[in-house]
Amino acid sequence: MSFCLSCFAQGRELTDQLGRKVEVAEPLTRVVSLTPNLTETSFEVGGGDALVGVTRFATFPEAAARLPRVGSYVALDIEKIVKLQPQLCLATRDGNSKASVERLEALGIPVYVFDPQSLEEVIDTVVRLGDIYRTEAQAEALVSAYRERLDRVTQQLKGVKEEPRVFFQIDAQPIFSAGSDTFLHQLLIRSGAVNLAADRTGYPRYSWEELLVLKPDVVVLASMGGGYSEQELKARWEAWPQIPAVKNQRLYVVDADLFNRPSPRLIDALEHLVGLLHPELPEIQ
Amino acid sequence: MIGYIPVYKKLIPVTMILSLLLVVSMLLGLTIGSTGDTGAAWKLLLGQGEPDATLEVIVWQLRWPRVLLAATVGASLSLGGLVFQALLRNPLAEPYILGVSGGSAVGAILGILAGFSLFPGLTLSSFVGSLAVLLLVLLLSKRKEGNSDSLLLGGVMVNAFCGAIIMFLISVSKTSQMQKIIFWLMGDLSSASADSLPLLLGVLPCFLIIFLLAQPLNLLLTGRESASAMGVNVAAVMLVLLLTASLMVSLTVCHSGLIGFVGLTIPHVLRMLLGSDHRTLIPACILTGASYLVLCDLLARSLPSQGEMSVGIVTALVGAPLFIGLLWRGRR
Repeated sequence: MSFCLSCFAQGRELTDQLGRKVEVAEPLTRVVSLTPNLTETSFEVGGGDALVGVTRFATFPEAAARLPRVGSYVALDIEKIVKLQPQLCLATRDGNSKASVERLEALGIPVYVFDPQSLEEVIDTVVRLGDIYRTEAQAEALVSAYRERLDRVTQQLKGVKEEPRVFFQIDAQPIFSAGSDTFLHQLLIRSGAVNLAADRTGYPRYSWEELLVLKPDVVVLASMGGGYSEQELKARWEAWPQIPAVKNQRLYVVDADLFNRPSPRLIDALEHLVGLLHPELPEIQ
Repeated sequence: MIGYIPVYKKLIPVTMILSLLLVVSMLLGLTIGSTGDTGAAWKLLLGQGEPDATLEVIVWQLRWPRVLLAATVGASLSLGGLVFQALLRNPLAEPYILGVSGGSAVGAILGILAGFSLFPGLTLSSFVGSLAVLLLVLLLSKRKEGNSDSLLLGGVMVNAFCGAIIMFLISVSKTSQMQKIIFWLMGDLSSASADSLPLLLGVLPCFLIIFLLAQPLNLLLTGRESASAMGVNVAAVMLVLLLTASLMVSLTVCHSGLIGFVGLTIPHVLRMLLGSDHRTLIPACILTGASYLVLCDLLARSLPSQGEMSVGIVTALVGAPLFIGLLWRGRR
């Protein structure tokens, strides 16, 4: 939730997800989003019109792809941001460097920092963006739709008898997976799966030797890993028919963008994952 | 034959001891890994105990190609170091210092970006890269009449230039390929498979050619004038050795990336132990370099708890302090 302390003044003072006070101008017409997921979510809550700048990999939605670029989220072009004269910048703690945020603030540009670490906090991001853009009603509607979909998934999973042991491959060369402190881990747990990388943290590396011993039931491959095509990604696994997932043809390639960005599209990702992991479950509409 | 000394009294025991070392290292490489119990793997090798299909695949389809690749790469890199050090009469010469590795890395990265497969595409583009650098370095040194310092200096500069090109290529590459290239640059043997076979076939003749030129190499060490006075065709021998060593290095670079310090550490240690006769040093370098990288790779893939690391990290962690120690002893 946010606090409106000085609504009568030129701006409001909001508290960002890190608990810092941020001055937000009113009306808000010039915003620069510093990560692709915040760009996506801004459009979702109806704030897209206020965006005047986005980062290099902001490809979704189409309207975002036409906006001026201010570098990539890891290497921001501060000069370009300043030139756009934004009233506010939107950043994430994981994606953007602390130094760039401090630099922007020193230049008099307020930065609202998000730090979504769970699906709940992703939903909170939507509420907060609705508050920033003053599109609260639209944000509320989105949030209740999200909750409904999440409930539906929970209902659906009640029919699951045995959770499949899943290996999620984020990158192909070398092979990386997602440990217990990541988004993807939460997503796997929520979709009724056992994450085989849960005994490690961060994004651990795996060797084929370990994978042969782990014997995953299902392997989910993020697309674009190592620059390989879908066929190549699968072919690398198909060399090992001893692995149950290979033997039972349960190798699935999924859209990396859908899974890598902490945005509400993660709910799409979750539904997609449930469909792949539990083909036996009836679809609940 | 010129300056014939019966070296075989030394060569035979040295080769036998070092071969034994290599066999032991390879057995350790086959039986120890990130998973499974080592005892069971020994039993599998000895043909005892219950058959375990997974373990069999791990030992024969994963560890065996990897041990072979590590041995080949280790042997090539240390032999490459030895050849360059002798030709340039400079203890710091190494495929890396000369820029040959850097050149083949540029060639290989261009190949990766162009989407070439490992063989023949990548192998070829990497060899072309190393030859281009070698040519450039030789031309640079030619202007100063075969002075080995200018050859080295030229190599250092060309290497710095290659480094800049590599960084440029990485920064313009797609993020999906970046990870792959960065890990490959750190030196990585995890891609070992049956595809690595052409590497073996490619470097074995190189080993033979270099071994056959051991005696001219010995004479070259006494100086170019005295070598040619003793009947060595200096220019031809140098050209053949440089080309062979570059081919060997580029073959290994495109399979395993940049693995440093092997070509510096192994020849130094061996020269201290065995003296400077290349008829003994060449086989010793091949065998010791092979054992060394098999053991380093064993550490790289079995030590960390968060997944394996690049073997280049291990060779640098072991090699750099050792090298500093050698320098220190040499000073005193």
